[in-house]
Amino acid sequence: MTKRYLILEDGSSYPGEAFGALATTTGEIIINSNMMGYQESITNPIYHNQIIVFTQPTIGNVGINHKSYESIVTSIKGVITREYSDTTLNHQHKQSLDTFLKQHEIPGIEGIDTRELAHRITKKGTMKASIVDVDDEHAFDQLNATVLTNQQVSQVATPKPYPNPGNGFNIIVIDFGLKQGILRRLDERDCNVVVVPWDTSVERILSLDPDGIVISTGPGNPADLPKSIIKTIQSLQTQFPLLAIGLGHELFAIANNAKVYKLETEHHGSNHPVRKIITNQVIYVSQAQGYAVDYDSIDRNTLITTYIDLYNGTVQGLRHRDYPAFSVQFSPDGEPGPTIASDIFDEFLENIGSQRR
Amino acid sequence: MAKVIIDKMAMQRALTRITYEIIEKNKGIEDLVIVGIKTRGIYLAKRIANRLQQLENVEVPVGALDITKYRDDIEHDSAKETPTVVASGDRVSVEGKNVILVDDVLYTGRTIKAALSAISELGRPNSIRLAVLVDRGHRELPIRADFVGKNIPSAQNEKIQVSVQEIDKRDAVEIVNK
Repeated sequence: MTKRYLILEDGSSYPGEAFGALATTTGEIIINSNMMGYQESITNPIYHNQIIVFTQPTIGNVGINHKSYESIVTSIKGVITREYSDTTLNHQHKQSLDTFLKQHEIPGIEGIDTRELAHRITKKGTMKASIVDVDDEHAFDQLNATVLTNQQVSQVATPKPYPNPGNGFNIIVIDFGLKQGILRRLDERDCNVVVVPWDTSVERILSLDPDGIVISTGPGNPADLPKSIIKTIQSLQTQFPLLAIGLGHELFAIANNAKVYKLETEHHGSNHPVRKIITNQVIYVSQAQGYAVDYDSIDRNTLITTYIDLYNGTVQGLRHRDYPAFSVQFSPDGEPGPTIASDIFDEFLENIGSQRR
Repeated sequence: MAKVIIDKMAMQRALTRITYEIIEKNKGIEDLVIVGIKTRGIYLAKRIANRLQQLENVEVPVGALDITKYRDDIEHDSAKETPTVVASGDRVSVEGKNVILVDDVLYTGRTIKAALSAISELGRPNSIRLAVLVDRGHRELPIRADFVGKNIPSAQNEKIQVSVQEIDKRDAVEIVNK
């Protein structure tokens, strides 16, 4: 096996054994603490241009299957694991993770003390990192000189609208780099879905005669998107039942005058207890966030806080006071992770049903 | 044969949605009074009030309304009793309030008409809105609900049976063929 290095912006270097492609890549390094579902994470467009450190010690042991893709374009910049396993007895197994990464030109490194690495990232916050052949001064210079793009959404979101026909409600999904789990949950509920690009105008959306609007998840900072998006949401929320997820939730908050800040350490996992305020239930959900809505900036005359993370206190859900428009920070489709929150899609469709009564 | 049409999760969601819709329509929860009708409506009213308290940290008064006296379709000997809206021993005032009337099933509309008469005898509310868990159709009076958990088109010979945890030990709405 080939020896390669993971180097970080803070000057540290981690040697390990290569798997996947032998490409040299640079991206933001983040920790993912999900115990399962590496395929869902690897293919989730929210990780566009990021290097994922899996704290689950063994990755690769269920291969890659048809059912767990979250997108058709995989655009992460690397996979870091304690141990790569090519052995699989999974019945859904179609190909190995190694083959998959080679096909998509994504490098992986195994044999890294991911616990120490996770500790370092948690302490130092978001950092740039590279996967390289040699960890010399030149490599570090290159890493430090790299400026990462802030145009992630336009790089991963669909450039053209496409339909996913069904017989139920007509749902327009505005794609900011959506994960397919959202479409699966709508498909299970027989929705007639049209996915439209993130910069689609209100007029165009109206021309598709929606029953409800979903604003999707996506990568990056909501502040990097043009203000026209905010105007679009402000207009749509007054006209149709609306569900906003992830990046969509952050945009929905901004559209209603709340502020969004960058978390010092991104949170990707399903180990945080989240309180559903209205019924005082505690649930575990699938979370993947680099940003959060500032609780103190929420105008209580406009928005109601509906979910709160009990571990770090972040706002996990909002609802508009005057319209049937609501949002969640976490992934209600539960891919990967607990599916308990998937009835949020029922809640959304019942909002539509109630409006049409 | 009983067929479950609203299970526990769906009932929770319905009450949650109704709660949010009350906030939407009422533009806040000032001067709100929730009045549950007879047995099961009272428990549903309490659940809605609990949700409002969780969200807004404000205790909304909940009243219980016995409308037997005002029913025009039942023979009874309680005709001399005065109607009351009672909340844990205290009478709840409806004068100038925004009343949310809560019942489990909306059917002919006669119960609601009776409830409206009972309330109007107690005072003059600013507004009265109606929330029901199930609207099964077959109205005999011009009455409609403002908040509906679920519309269940039903046949006259079917029975809609609502069970609530508090007295029936489970949450469900079922259709029973007689």
